Amino acid sequence: MTDIWQSAMDHAVALARKAGQVVRDAVGDAQKEAVMVKSSSIDLVTQTDQKVEKLIIQSVKEKFPTHCFIGEESVAAGEVCVLTDSPTWIIDPIDGTTNFVHTFPFVAISIGFSVNKQVEFGVVYSCLQDQMYTARRGKGAFCNGRPLRVSHEKDIRQAIIATEFGSNRDPGVVDKVFSSLKRVVSIPVHGVRGAGSAAINMCLVASGCVEAYYEIGIHVWDIAAGSLIVSEAGGVLMDVDGGLLDLMSRRVLAANNQSVAEHLAKEIDAFRVRRDDAAS
Amino acid sequence: MFFCICTQEIRKAGESEIKVSTKSSTVDLVTKTDERVEKIIINSLKQEFGDNTYSFIGEESVANGKPCILTDKPTWIIDPVDGTTNFVHGFPFVAVSIAFAVKKQLEFGVVYSCLEDKMYKARRGKGAFCNDELIQVSDVKDIHKSIIISEHGTDRNPEKVTKIFSTMQKILRIPVHGLRGSGTAATNMCLVACGAVEAFFEIGIHCWDIAAGAVIVTEAGGILLDVDGGPFDLMSRRMVSANNNVIAERIIREIEIFPVERDDTNVSKNQT
Repeated sequence: MTDIWQSAMDHAVALARKAGQVVRDAVGDAQKEAVMVKSSSIDLVTQTDQKVEKLIIQSVKEKFPTHCFIGEESVAAGEVCVLTDSPTWIIDPIDGTTNFVHTFPFVAISIGFSVNKQVEFGVVYSCLQDQMYTARRGKGAFCNGRPLRVSHEKDIRQAIIATEFGSNRDPGVVDKVFSSLKRVVSIPVHGVRGAGSAAINMCLVASGCVEAYYEIGIHVWDIAAGSLIVSEAGGVLMDVDGGLLDLMSRRVLAANNQSVAEHLAKEIDAFRVRRDDAAS
Repeated sequence: MFFCICTQEIRKAGESEIKVSTKSSTVDLVTKTDERVEKIIINSLKQEFGDNTYSFIGEESVANGKPCILTDKPTWIIDPVDGTTNFVHGFPFVAVSIAFAVKKQLEFGVVYSCLEDKMYKARRGKGAFCNDELIQVSDVKDIHKSIIISEHGTDRNPEKVTKIFSTMQKILRIPVHGLRGSGTAATNMCLVACGAVEAFFEIGIHCWDIAAGAVIVTEAGGILLDVDGGPFDLMSRRMVSANNNVIAERIIREIEIFPVERDDTNVSKNQT
């Protein structure tokens, strides 16, 4: 039976690869590129972010003129961030802009596609490592064509957990982030890591390199694609408080299994942040 | 040549289930691959250069009771698998680290990040390279535009964990662009050397983790200091490596120091 979204997915993969080349070409000069800021002095954006997002959206509009878009830079420029039932492309043109500016090795293009608010496929291209992660709902998750499977580990004390400090330097927020981190490290776990890119962190869960990833403060475009890649690799998704994952809530917990996820959720200070779909 | 064999051993072991033991704590891991790789390196060097010409300081040999003393004798300082936790989990940073010192001065260092296939090397006075391309530290002088690397280490003693976290929090709130950690000191030093981050500091690492990286960082134009701002001491188990003094000194102001036992603690006063 024909998959009605196969051509969209193929297009997403091709676009991610093309965008990856744009990023690779720019990364050597990234420190010379004008680095602007958004919500704070460390929430960075560059012209390459904006160029890549335009490239993707224009190309998709030509091929699929009725589809909708949620793109990080478009939203930053004032576009509405609402997930409807319409076929919607959820785009982070450069996940890991800070890494890109510094040439730290984890920089990804993330493209998620949802219909009726359900993610149908996800593509995350870690372009400096040339690793293309993909997942189609019901058909598994892959990296460069190799099937992905989450780790088998059930004991959180044998786990590596991925998390990030985020770009909010408000002292109250930083205190809560550190309080959670300290509790997690003290479980004890084997270690805590962070790639500096939410999309890549989720792919690390899907690949079995880490057992779980959690963060408060990410956006829907950071996790839409990765969420499907994790679940198609056999992992679980939830809110940081143990409830259902809400893509617009700006909170995520992705893990290899329920046991690790629930143990982790108990240690996290689940503070709330302004939702992606909050009225401006 | 033995890097190929080491990589093969590491990759081969990574494909099947890895039996993990622990050393100083439940999160200080060691595997048969660590021990096998160290034997391969030491045996190969002894074969090439003779049994008694050189001394060896190897992580797993020291764990098995060999002394950890740096003398004037030409000495190989070896970490066979830096990032054993990463290795066990398949996290992409695992390095083989080999340094060489004569009269207690580091002469060259090699760090092979084997899952990335990146060979970092440096010879004193002759620059630092990654896969034969010259590398240089970052030229960022503004701490607000820096990425800093720090690790939690393997000591879960609550007082130490508190100080480590307090330091990280203070640095984050400077604010810096970000905090990162690859899970291997040798790789972290190479990330400083190639300009991907501005500084890496840690209390609790060992001489075998940083000896090779020390040469690579300095030859790439960076600097090394103790965490209290004093001169770098290879056996002290403490270190700040940075792209320049401005960044290093700013970081040092925030570091909460806690005591660790030196690598050469049991050295007799009579030995040189």
